[in-house]
Amino acid sequence: MKGIVGLFLVLAVMVIVPAVEYAFAAGDEPGEYLDRRVVIWNLFFRMMTIAFVVGAVVSGTMIWQVWRFRESHPKAKPTAYEGTDW
Amino acid sequence: MAGHSNWPEWIYVGVVIAIMCWVGAEAWEAERLVEHVPEGAEIIKVTGQQWFWTFEHEDGTKEIGELHVEKGKAYKFEIHSTDVNHSFNIHDYVVLMDAIPGRVNTVWFAPDAVGEHDIQCREYCGLIHYNMRGTLIVEEPHS
Repeated sequence: MKGIVGLFLVLAVMVIVPAVEYAFAAGDEPGEYLDRRVVIWNLFFRMMTIAFVVGAVVSGTMIWQVWRFRESHPKAKPTAYEGTDW
Repeated sequence: MAGHSNWPEWIYVGVVIAIMCWVGAEAWEAERLVEHVPEGAEIIKVTGQQWFWTFEHEDGTKEIGELHVEKGKAYKFEIHSTDVNHSFNIHDYVVLMDAIPGRVNTVWFAPDAVGEHDIQCREYCGLIHYNMRGTLIVEEPHS
């Protein structure tokens, strides 16, 4: 349990705190000239990049699990729940 | 359960939370940037009504269906409606904001090239919604 708390503390320090700080850092000073098209496209591009990477990792993991843990796999081992009569 | 570790699950949970935080922070930051009006932006009052757009510049100049602006200057639109919901859209500059009766919504942009662009209503507002259009005319700076 201590380890899990530690893990989340590290995550909080690494990700959440800087993100919140960055977002609040702007204050009330006037904004800069920028091209909405660029900002919005960049956001879209980064979101799509992370979405496709996550999609590939998740679906790849699921495909590997189905392939690796099928009954007919050469290294398949019955678990205690499944019994041994196969 | 003996001989079983939960670590992969916790790492997975941590990674998912980290990605969600990152996605949220990126979106938040982009929103902050595009909503942060630069100093000296000229305010243009935009009125939507069935079925045309009216613009009023800071100096009192009014335009109907056409909006003249200068290249390289920032403009803040104060958008409202006198009848039903409309949505003010300059597609080429990714400007999109609802025009709602009884409230003023704001959005800003800075045109970077001389040219003409379509303005159109993006919220179905009645029979002639399809033709509730205007023209944005970006000109060279006058001074």
